[in-house]
Amino acid sequence: MAENDLAKRTLTLKKTLDAPLELVWEAWTEPEHIAGWWGPKGMPLKIVEHNFRVGGKWKYVMPMPDGSEFISEGQYSEIAKFERIITSANFRPMTEGVEIRATFERDGDKTIFTFSVVHPTEEYCRQQEKMGFYNGWGSAFNRLNSYLQTQHQN
Amino acid sequence: METRRDVFQAIADPTRREIIDLLARRPMNLNAIAEHFDITRPAISNHIRILNECGIVSIDQIGRERFCKIEPKQLKQVSEWVGRYESLWMQKVDAFEKYVYELKSKRKKHGRK
Repeated sequence: MAENDLAKRTLTLKKTLDAPLELVWEAWTEPEHIAGWWGPKGMPLKIVEHNFRVGGKWKYVMPMPDGSEFISEGQYSEIAKFERIITSANFRPMTEGVEIRATFERDGDKTIFTFSVVHPTEEYCRQQEKMGFYNGWGSAFNRLNSYLQTQHQN
Repeated sequence: METRRDVFQAIADPTRREIIDLLARRPMNLNAIAEHFDITRPAISNHIRILNECGIVSIDQIGRERFCKIEPKQLKQVSEWVGRYESLWMQKVDAFEKYVYELKSKRKKHGRK
């Protein structure tokens, strides 16, 4: 697959975090910390599985206010300590088959953190479209948004 | 059975996306639109009907002609939706950043752990 095609399918967010690399790595990779930031604030997160090694699987479940569950899961394909993590990821019922890449780079006492989501091929996108992919996303976000609004009122 | 129509259904079909592209340039009647495609006039007519029901295309009857026009307001939903999608990831990264700072100040206060 051509690299420019990859660029078109990738969303990248880059940030310099004012914290040492070791701390950033720990917060991103250890389950007790992941539970503290993965879900929206106030949303309980159940870490069902967190097998942090190449080939290991992870699965986090968030119960939704309407009784359904929002499931995030994947499998690590690359882990280079203090440098890089690549994992497959499914967010159900939103989308499946994306790849998440997180890279960490020391910058003195700070850390340059890059987060990328690589989306499936264009073919896969079209297929998802036909299956009502857009509607699926829409409802998941609506639920999430309305839940967040009730949280803010408290 | 009543089918729910929305803007995302309108853009889900490649022919309908081409029709939107055409009409974005200028309003056209049905025959002029059909000339741009290899499929039958009734098929085009059906796509136009769906676009109309989705609120993306308005139809004005002028004499015996029916002119189709884009309603851009509805299409804005698409870019808003994409924006919301991007912001979900941003929220995640922002939440992570905040958590890192909380952890950092906690560690500072209590020494190591």
